[in-house]
Amino acid sequence: MDFPQNMSMEEAFALAEAEAKLQQALNASKERFDNAVLPNRLNEDWRFGRPHKHAAALAELLQSAAPSQGEAEVKNAGDAAVRVSEDEADLRQTEQLMPTIGSDALLGLHLQRFGDGYALYIEEDTKEPIIISYKTDSLYTPATFIMVAPGVKAHVIEQHYGSEKGTIFATRNIQVAEGAELKVELQPYGCARCMVITNIQNMGGKVAHYSHFFACDWAREETVAEIYTPGADIQLFSANKLLLNQVLDQHTRQIHHAGGAGSNLLYKNVVDDDATAIFAGNIYVAPGAHNTDAYQTNRNMLLSEKATVHSLPGLEILADKVRCSHGSASAPMDEEQLFYLLSRGIPRTEALNLVAHGFLQDVVDKFERS
Amino acid sequence: MDETPFQVDTRGEFSFPENHKFDAGFGLTEATIDYICDAKGEPDWVRQFRKDALRKFNEMPMPTHWAPEGINNLDFDKIRYYLSHGTMPYKSWEDVPDDVKRTFERLGVPEQERAFLAGVDAQYDSETAYNNMREELTKQGVIFVNSTEGLREYEHIFRPWFGKVIPVTDNKFSALNHAAFSGGSFIYVPKGVKVAQPLQAYFRINSESMGQFERTLIIADEGAELMYMEGCTAPKYDSATLHSGVVELVALKGAKIQYVTVQNWATNVYNLVIQRGLAMEDAEIRWIDCNIGSGLTMKYPAVVLQGRRARGEVVSISLAHSGQLQDTGARMIHAAPETTSNIVAKSISIGEGRASYRGEVNVLKGMKGCKNNTECDALLINPASRTDTYPAISVNGNASAVQHEASVSQVDEEMLFYMQQRGLTRAQAMSLAVNGFINDLVKEFPMEYSVELRRLIDLEMEDSIG
Repeated sequence: MDFPQNMSMEEAFALAEAEAKLQQALNASKERFDNAVLPNRLNEDWRFGRPHKHAAALAELLQSAAPSQGEAEVKNAGDAAVRVSEDEADLRQTEQLMPTIGSDALLGLHLQRFGDGYALYIEEDTKEPIIISYKTDSLYTPATFIMVAPGVKAHVIEQHYGSEKGTIFATRNIQVAEGAELKVELQPYGCARCMVITNIQNMGGKVAHYSHFFACDWAREETVAEIYTPGADIQLFSANKLLLNQVLDQHTRQIHHAGGAGSNLLYKNVVDDDATAIFAGNIYVAPGAHNTDAYQTNRNMLLSEKATVHSLPGLEILADKVRCSHGSASAPMDEEQLFYLLSRGIPRTEALNLVAHGFLQDVVDKFERS
Repeated sequence: MDETPFQVDTRGEFSFPENHKFDAGFGLTEATIDYICDAKGEPDWVRQFRKDALRKFNEMPMPTHWAPEGINNLDFDKIRYYLSHGTMPYKSWEDVPDDVKRTFERLGVPEQERAFLAGVDAQYDSETAYNNMREELTKQGVIFVNSTEGLREYEHIFRPWFGKVIPVTDNKFSALNHAAFSGGSFIYVPKGVKVAQPLQAYFRINSESMGQFERTLIIADEGAELMYMEGCTAPKYDSATLHSGVVELVALKGAKIQYVTVQNWATNVYNLVIQRGLAMEDAEIRWIDCNIGSGLTMKYPAVVLQGRRARGEVVSISLAHSGQLQDTGARMIHAAPETTSNIVAKSISIGEGRASYRGEVNVLKGMKGCKNNTECDALLINPASRTDTYPAISVNGNASAVQHEASVSQVDEEMLFYMQQRGLTRAQAMSLAVNGFINDLVKEFPMEYSVELRRLIDLEMEDSIG
């Protein structure tokens, strides 16, 4: 290894140690991909997710000769944005080390197609939200990297547009330094298939994440939010309305490696027609991460006889002095709210929409206030 | 000092030398099954049934994709599948062999029977040693025998429901039980008969490396009511002991069954029990479950709500010490409209103990007006204690409502300080706080059990803190 000039012994040792650790992690991750099998019915993280249908179809497409192609665009980023290319070894390594929720094999296939997307190195407060958009009518596998420097306030919106045949499989790596504040939105729209694997690493900042899936036939979102420093805060939000045969399969992990920090989750779905919503969340408080506050709420409104909801809110608490709770409720629309609107002369369909809208708007308001 | 009316050894940490007339040896093969069938004098259909189940058991995989890792340490070849003094239970205490009698006397069974029970079934290793019921119940047509006798004498009632609530292929341990079952109770309560006092079963493992596979089937005919209680203890050995029972409840139209378990196995016992009830129209099934002992418990009492307006409830308390994993929970399957269910689970983790709640609530397609409420609360006593919650809730359609809530907390330091300031030791204060945490659930147990339970918890807390 070449050490820079003027480096002290301690610094050189620290650098060498960091390099060795990274190499070890990379070796471990290689093993992880070598041993990974495609999601099957024994994969608990794909419970209710019908892996034999959805994971298999995505894997088949990724393993086919179809090229990854789409349009990537970034707005309001100034110098912060860098287009990801195949040669970005560091970014590739970052993706290689990303955790998934039962989809290591799929991430392995995504890595084989590494070479597109955007990396944002945000060192100044953003005045207007930075908007990244990915668009395709075939198969597209971009990767997004967002790094926010200490004390910087940023707002990023990521949009995925797919056509009837469009499949977007994206990974997102978000790192937030001490004192930084990041608001980030994910808006997939109109994809036949949409899969997003997100990893948030919070080193002592504040992160608010909001996802809103719209008109996607099948979508799976895996979000692993990790807290490494006391005082860090992560808020996860999602609000979706599902129609027709749409399937939304959302998985989250709130991992508290360090104590004295907080995380909160609020996911709401309105499920209509034949649609299915799956939510599987987990709060993990590592041994020694005392004084943790972590909460998780999943609420679903069912609007039709054939709508289906599966909710799996989980807790794994290995520390003391924690305040953790989760709640899950699935129910039809409140008849009283509906009656209130009907009695004021609002037609039924409009009243239904209003109540459903209000149910979801609550999430948006909380995200905006966070 | 003792506030209970009975001098009872609730821990059962003692054993007597083995003195078996029948011993099928280690491991489970067709020969073992032949041995069991010959010893019990069972008809051919049972023999064939057991052998078919054994084949299924060998074919089926362990539930390793979701079960706690500890289950992989279980070695089926190092378990003894049938040990008994004899296959006919004694109907009078006088006749029970001395060591068995002394065991149950120490555990307080005969006093309890005199004091408040309507009937007792005491199982020692593989077979029932003593079985008795009050005469007036026999006159009303109530049947309370062990499963061997049930199959022999009441095949016409037993067989149609046998393995119907929990089929052989339900899971690997169900197949195991179908192959090796012995002991357990068979109860039939006729139409409209309400059994006022509880019936009790007592399960005792005495021998090392024993596998106890009791099989209980309770049928409450239309409008009948009963309460059944089971207690479990075993001495501590270095080798693993397996308890893998199957309990099937059938509550016909308008019937009510309450099933109370107080499990206090030694920590070398794997407690893998399948309990499921079928509730028909307007029927009600309640599981009241308390797990204090065993090294690994995996137990999720279930109610299949099969008839309109049926109701299911699970009340669960578990206490996990260092070296223990209590993986308990509940399942509610809403298979009929307007069915309701309620789950309340509280767990306490002490030292390095781990308590998990694992549950399933499923409102099937087309079911209207179903309601479920689930609450799980966990209390962590020490910094190394662990608790997990893994619920799965599925709702189909827009005419049902389910809600689930869970929380994790500690004993409030201020509360302890307040009590210590008034002269209680820290252990006493902690014990009082823990008893307060589970107080509303302890009330659900019959008086005699709830007093006992409080005393047990006091003891456990003193050991860990005092």
